[in-house]
Amino acid sequence: MASIIAVKKLDKHFKVRKFHRGRFSGFQNFFTREHHLVRAVDGVNFEIQSGELIGYLGPNGAGKSTTLKMLTGLLVPTGGEINVDGFVPSKQRKEYVSRIGAVFGQRSTLWWDLPVFESFELLRHIYKIPEKLFKKNLDEFRELLELDTFINTPVRSLSLGQRMRADICAALLHDPKILFLDEPTIGLDVVAKERIRQFIQHINQDRGTTVILTTHDLSDVEKLCNRILIIDEGKLLYDGQLEQLRQKFGGKRQLVVDFFENYPEATIEGAEIVEINGARITFEFERDSIAASDLIGRLSSKYRIRDLEVKEPEIEETIRRIYEQQLLK
Amino acid sequence: MRLFIEIAMRAFRLQMSYRAAAIAGLLTNFFFGILRAVVLIALYDGREEMLGLSLQAAITYTAITQAVIGYLSAFSWYDVANTVYSGEIGSDLLKPINFYSYWMARDFGRAMAALLTRGLPIMVAYEIFIDISFPNFLLNWGLLILTVLLSWVVSFSWRFIVNLPSFWIPNAFGIGRFFFMAALFFSGFLMPLRFFPDWVVKLAYLTPFPHTVNTVVEIYLGVLSPVEIWLAFAWQVGWIVALILVGQWILKLGLRRLVILGG
Repeated sequence: MASIIAVKKLDKHFKVRKFHRGRFSGFQNFFTREHHLVRAVDGVNFEIQSGELIGYLGPNGAGKSTTLKMLTGLLVPTGGEINVDGFVPSKQRKEYVSRIGAVFGQRSTLWWDLPVFESFELLRHIYKIPEKLFKKNLDEFRELLELDTFINTPVRSLSLGQRMRADICAALLHDPKILFLDEPTIGLDVVAKERIRQFIQHINQDRGTTVILTTHDLSDVEKLCNRILIIDEGKLLYDGQLEQLRQKFGGKRQLVVDFFENYPEATIEGAEIVEINGARITFEFERDSIAASDLIGRLSSKYRIRDLEVKEPEIEETIRRIYEQQLLK
Repeated sequence: MRLFIEIAMRAFRLQMSYRAAAIAGLLTNFFFGILRAVVLIALYDGREEMLGLSLQAAITYTAITQAVIGYLSAFSWYDVANTVYSGEIGSDLLKPINFYSYWMARDFGRAMAALLTRGLPIMVAYEIFIDISFPNFLLNWGLLILTVLLSWVVSFSWRFIVNLPSFWIPNAFGIGRFFFMAALFFSGFLMPLRFFPDWVVKLAYLTPFPHTVNTVVEIYLGVLSPVEIWLAFAWQVGWIVALILVGQWILKLGLRRLVILGG
C-alpha cells in the first residue's frame, strides 16, 4: 500500500527573542534585538499508510503541535518535505484542506454564539457537501456522539465534553480522508474520553479514515493506536508498536500473591520481594530473565497460594522513564 | 455567492442574538443623537439656514450619522485582529474558503443586523420625537440604498486593512484607534464636512473616509446635483476597488508571515 503521508527530514526552526536580565536590562531590551534559534522540529522522518491510527506522543514543547500544524498546512516547514495525499500542505491551501479534518482540542471551529447545528449547516456550504451525504453523516454522528441533546444549544453554553464531540463531528462531516486530532481528550472526564475514543476507533475502522492524534493521555494511545511516534525536543525518538516499546523499556513486572498463611521469608529465585502485607507479598522480576509461569510454578511448589496477579508496568511509567532517562537517545 | 449569503445569514443571526447589546446600543446612539441635535439647534441660534444646510437638514444629519454608527462599526472593529491574537484564525484557515470574502460576508451580515436593530429604530424615533426630512422621490430612495451599501463596502475595506497589522505586531489596536479617530473626523461624522474650511475638506477627500458617512448624508439630504451624485458613486467604487486590492495584498503578506513564523 502506498503511504498517504510522507515526511522527510522535516525541520521547523523558530527565532525566539532573547531578553537581557539585570540592571539596565530594560534599555538593553529596548535597543537590541537578539534572537536564538529554537529547533521545534528537527529532522523528522516518517511515513503513514492509509487507514492507520497513529498516536503522536511527546512531553510539552516536544514539537507535536508544530508537526501537526505543518501537516495541516498552517505552518511552512523551514526545511524538508511533506507530502500528504499528493499535496504539499502549505501550498494549494484551499484544495488541500477540503480533504482533511482537524480538531485542535483547545480551540473550537464552531461559531461561539450560534447553535451547534448552524455551524454544521455552514460547514455544509463551505465544503460543498452534497445534501444526501451531509444528512447521512450527520445522522450517524448524532447517534454515535449523542449530539441530540445539545444540537440546538449555542456553543458557548456547552460543556467541554459536548463541545469536543461537536467539534469532532464538524471535522468529519465532509468525509475527510485524514483526520488530525490535537489533544482530543484534554480535560475530559473518564466517560467523555471513552465515548470519544470509541468514536475515533469507529471512524478509523468503519470508514478507513487515517487518524493521527497527539495526546498526553497514554490511555488514549493504549486503547486506540497500533503504532506510535514519540518525539522529544524536536527529534523523533521512536516509531513502532506500543507493545514493543513496553517490552523493551517496560522495566520490571510485578507478581502479587495472596498466600493461605503468612510466609515472612517466602523468597524465590529470580524475583525480589518489594512489599509484604500480611499474607500478601509483592514480587518484582525482569521480563527477560524469567517467565511469569516459571515463577508461579516455583512458588506454588513451595507455598500454598490463594490468588495471584501479574502486573504489567504502567505504560505511563514506561514513557515517563523514556523521557526522563532519555532511553531512546 | 451562495456561500457568501450563507455566511452573511449566520453572521446576521449571530448579531440578532445579542438583544441586550442591541438595545443598549440603540439607547446610547439615540441619547447622543438628541444631544447633538440640541447642540446644532443652539448653534443655528434661530437662523433658518447655515452654509446651505437648513436646520431641519442639520438635525436629519445627526439622525443619519447616529443611525449608521452600528452599521459601519464607526467606533471600532477588531474582529479579524482578535482572531489572529486568539489563534482562532487557525480554524478559519483550515477551511476551504477565501479568507477575505469570508470576513466580508461576516461583516455584511453583522452590518445588516445593525442597520435593522439600530439604524431603522433611530430614524423612526427621530421622526416621532423631532421632525426630520426624508428623500422625496422614489429615485432618491434608490440612490440612497445604493450609496448606503457602497458606504458599507468602503468602510469594511478600510477597517479590514487596519486589522492587518495584527499579523506583525503584538498589539494592533493602537494603530486601529488612530484610524478610527481619523475616520470619525474625516467622514463627516462629528460635523458635516461642508462646515469645515476648504483645506480640511480637501485633506479629508484624500482619504476614503468621506465616502462613507458624508456621501450618504449628502445624497440623503439631496444637496448634490445629478453630476455630483454620479461622481460620488464613482469615488465610492474607486476607493472600494483600491482598498480591496490593497487589503488582499497585505493579507497575503500577513498570511505568509503567519505560516512561516507561527502564530
